[in-house]
Amino acid sequence: MFVYEKRLQYPVKIKQTNPKLAQIIITQYGGPDGELGASLRYLSQRFSMPIPELKAILNDIGTEELGHLEMIGTIVYQLTKNLTEEQVKAGGYDAYFVDHTAGIYPSSASGVPFTAAYLQSKGDPITDLHEDLAAEQKARTTYDNILRYCDDPDVLDPIRFLREREIVHYQRFGEALRLLTDKLDSKNFYAFNPSFDKKCFNKAKDRKA
Amino acid sequence: MSKREILLRKISSYAFAIYELKLYLDTHPNCRKTIAKIEEYEAKLAPLRQEYVNEYGPLFSSENKKDYWTWVNAPWPWEGE
Repeated sequence: MFVYEKRLQYPVKIKQTNPKLAQIIITQYGGPDGELGASLRYLSQRFSMPIPELKAILNDIGTEELGHLEMIGTIVYQLTKNLTEEQVKAGGYDAYFVDHTAGIYPSSASGVPFTAAYLQSKGDPITDLHEDLAAEQKARTTYDNILRYCDDPDVLDPIRFLREREIVHYQRFGEALRLLTDKLDSKNFYAFNPSFDKKCFNKAKDRKA
Repeated sequence: MSKREILLRKISSYAFAIYELKLYLDTHPNCRKTIAKIEEYEAKLAPLRQEYVNEYGPLFSSENKKDYWTWVNAPWPWEGE
């Protein structure tokens, strides 16, 4: 289950309204490489993970991503909460505004609504972990792209924190993949699906003996 | 920055350090040094949390201390105050 703690993982306090910036940062809320997709991906994939460390890492990173979703929602909220009608027009925010006013809706920077098609849960831990490694890099690139358009230190600070987390998660997923392959037959990791063909763990043991 | 914000940042710093070590332990569960470090930080975090809850209200809803449900009180985390 989940318990809510009434604080952000990292503080967000933005003074300057900036709808233009909000419109690109919203992509990390509900876009193709955003935090909603990340949390759903890991929290869904964890169910079929075959070894304890893998269950733990998917569970805990998936939970952290929910905290990141909250931070991104907070950034977009604070960038737009005092919007005037003039700022909406001048900032090119009118397309978002007409559907959501200053509400927070999971969509990409180009306005495409969130879809579960952004993620996969394949039931094969080698496949899923490779997706997770790629997902962290894609999110890192997205944060790098956001940083190109951002010069407000109040926004830079939490975005840099989130970018850094992608790198740490990439490291942890790499370790998870290594922990798994260490338990498999090194001559062919891909002969079996380690979640479905459970005999592959025994086969690897036999070969070592 | 208000006194409340300064205290909350201290809490979040320790909580983050602890969280990061826990994530490391997920893939290195036999690292005793990391487990000891978590205990050290937990000991520093506990009194700060207690001070915050007493002064400014609950961080978990289970920490409500009054006969009024202070959980509903502002600010919520996204309000940046």
